[in-house]
Amino acid sequence: MKPVLVVQLARFGDLVQTKRLVLGLTRAGREVHLLVDASLMSLAGVLYPDAVVHTVNAHSAPDPTRLLESLSELAAAGFGRVYNLNFAGLSMAVSNLFDPDTVRGYCLEAGQPMRDPWAAMAMRWTKNRRLGAVNLADFWAGFSLPMADASAVNPDAAPRGGGLGVAMAGRHARRSLPPEVLAPVVQAMLPLAGDARVTLFGTASERPAARELMSRLPARLLDRVVDLTGRTGWRELADTVAGLDRLLTPDTGIMHLAAHFGVPVSAVFLSSAWCHETGPYGRGHTVWQAVQECSPCLESAPCPCGSACLDVFRQREFLRLAGGKGQGEPPAGLVGYRTDFDALGVVCEPFAGAVPREQTEQAEQAERSRVRAFVARHLGIEAGSAAPPAPDLAERLVEEPDFMLEKHQALLEII
Amino acid sequence: MSRPLRILVVLPLYGGSLPVGRSCQRALASLGHVVETFEAPEFYGAFSALKGLRVTTERLDYLEHAFLQVVAQAILSKAETFQPDLVLAMAQAPLTKQVLKRLRQAGIPSVMWFVEDFRLFTYWEAYAAHYDAFAVIQKEPLLSKLAESGQPNGLYLPLAADPEFHKPLELSPVEKRQFGAELAFLGAGYPNRRVAFKELMRFGLKIWGSDWEGDEILAPLVQRGGARISSEESVKIFNSTAVNLNLHSSVSAKELVSGGDFVNPRTFELAMCGAFQLVDRRQLLPEMFGPDELATFGSMEELLEKIQHFLAAPQERAEYAQRARARALTGHTYQARMRTLITFLEERLEGWPRPRQDEDAMALLPEEYREEAAKLLTGLGLTPDAAFSDLVWALRARAGKLTPVETAILFLDEWRKQYGVKQE
Repeated sequence: MKPVLVVQLARFGDLVQTKRLVLGLTRAGREVHLLVDASLMSLAGVLYPDAVVHTVNAHSAPDPTRLLESLSELAAAGFGRVYNLNFAGLSMAVSNLFDPDTVRGYCLEAGQPMRDPWAAMAMRWTKNRRLGAVNLADFWAGFSLPMADASAVNPDAAPRGGGLGVAMAGRHARRSLPPEVLAPVVQAMLPLAGDARVTLFGTASERPAARELMSRLPARLLDRVVDLTGRTGWRELADTVAGLDRLLTPDTGIMHLAAHFGVPVSAVFLSSAWCHETGPYGRGHTVWQAVQECSPCLESAPCPCGSACLDVFRQREFLRLAGGKGQGEPPAGLVGYRTDFDALGVVCEPFAGAVPREQTEQAEQAERSRVRAFVARHLGIEAGSAAPPAPDLAERLVEEPDFMLEKHQALLEII
Repeated sequence: MSRPLRILVVLPLYGGSLPVGRSCQRALASLGHVVETFEAPEFYGAFSALKGLRVTTERLDYLEHAFLQVVAQAILSKAETFQPDLVLAMAQAPLTKQVLKRLRQAGIPSVMWFVEDFRLFTYWEAYAAHYDAFAVIQKEPLLSKLAESGQPNGLYLPLAADPEFHKPLELSPVEKRQFGAELAFLGAGYPNRRVAFKELMRFGLKIWGSDWEGDEILAPLVQRGGARISSEESVKIFNSTAVNLNLHSSVSAKELVSGGDFVNPRTFELAMCGAFQLVDRRQLLPEMFGPDELATFGSMEELLEKIQHFLAAPQERAEYAQRARARALTGHTYQARMRTLITFLEERLEGWPRPRQDEDAMALLPEEYREEAAKLLTGLGLTPDAAFSDLVWALRARAGKLTPVETAILFLDEWRKQYGVKQE
């Protein structure tokens, strides 16, 4: 069988979230090649030891000679199928290397940007992100059916003995807890990680934040804190994260890396971060999702609410629950979720003590389940058919050109 | 049936339901109905042109919607002009919800024959209720789900074959060499077939059809490099193959013989050709063919055993094929399916078909026209009691020069319209 190529030129977290697709292809007996940004090559080697990794400089200035070499390699590989996962100019340009009939996802066909009905459907459910409930990893996996068993993607969450890890920030500052909010959370969570070592992770640009965090922690804890911000390569980062008891993190690439190793995650999701879309993949992780009227918002738009979604993380009720003490209710505007699997893939289920209290929250939870069932049966997953037909969802998510015109249908796809 | 009907058949732009739609069109005409067809494939070129525009995806998306609106408006215009008793749409037909609503407002009933596995498409959930009836090739749970989605008139209507097209053929020795085989399969390379057929290499299996690329092991068995096979050639393949293998498709390669519910069109086509087939057991098969009419298998072990058995038993094959053809002729023609559909609609749609005011063509025409007009009705596939307006419609649709009588009939029609009285 001819090899297949997965083009994933986005960031760290996206590369980890491509795992279910790659696993499905591997289980179908395909030799998988990956095209990633050059800076992620060694990480790709850690995540996908059986894949052939190709690189281009997508996030830094390309070396013209090296670029040509990479593209020539790809052109000569004779791929039977190419999965181009992102609607982005760079990866669309790369898609020109291949016969358009072999490309799934997004491609340029004689200069015309095209996307599969499956990608178009995802665009439609993300128009209402609040009720869209499909994890990005499951969406990408849906480009090649049948998908790999979701529970085989990552190990179940279990402590590994290396203490608590703290990811300082994601790429978007508003989605992270600033040091003054983070410090009490770290203190509260220490018992969950055996009161052992605390390791701080992040890039060099997050070192000032790490220092500020340490300055806000009690002096008695400081000898346990190891600041690795800006001090690790991918392999050291992976080795350290793999050994943790727990990782406290916003929506970051490190979060996905911890899930890859089955390290329990306690994630804080606020602002534009929405755990139903990009939560940790695997069973047994915890997500604290801020839920305001405006959640999830647009990161690029100024916040008109005074970052109200951050305030819930200052509340004593939250700190008590985050530290595993008591079964009380979280503060208003915060929902605690635990990750698990359903027929479609990973799902965030509200757990005891954080059952949605408002009628609207319950209705939203029910609607997310309905969307998931529809998407599952759209992908040919039998369990999705147990739910009643949903004419309104079919109308919203499946548009006339999707089936009246001749387009690639993932379910009818023959690998 | 109360009277010949006017039926507008709406074909899809592409795909497997297209030949089924054409078979329906022929079957309805042969039953004496006046059939008009919306040839959606003729619009396919415009869709291809849109893809060549080199515009943003948002603009292309907008244009595709707008294009489909135009196509749907064309169907509506045709319906408004033709005034059918029924619009019969095939699966994936470009009938938008907006136009379906307009048809309903105009009192023109519509039905879709959804000749698809309902598990492979989800659009029916939104569209079924917009039709007046919805015919499907599966039973439960689909019929209940149709009711849940707001469609009370779900009808199980299995596929069929066209005896005028799928029939026994005498092939020349050259054709036999070209199309013949001891064991052959015609169809697309679905995952279960790809895995299953690797076990049949030793029988000299020939594989016809498309979507087999990327499999080096099966590649030597694939005929014509996996080119698409025309319907005419498929009949020749069926007729010149000793054992026609019919393995229903499955998107999963886990169970090679999936034991699914619906029966594919190939089952009926092979039977109608009088060709011998080995077909996998399906839940809905026993009510269509008896065990002495079709040779079946339920597992790969059974398939291997039966291939060996039937390759060495030409007389037994011939007997099976003969009985299968007899059964197909009596029960599984598109004519039979269209009769079932119309009877169902008569039962379910109140007051359908609406009485027409038209007078019989023969009663209306002057005495001296009648002998030739009777022949004309037969030639046009109309019944002797066809309405005058149906005769006029059929004549208008004729290409080329008309005879003096035909032209006179059109003239009389115009005269009636202009003066509003009967010609004495």
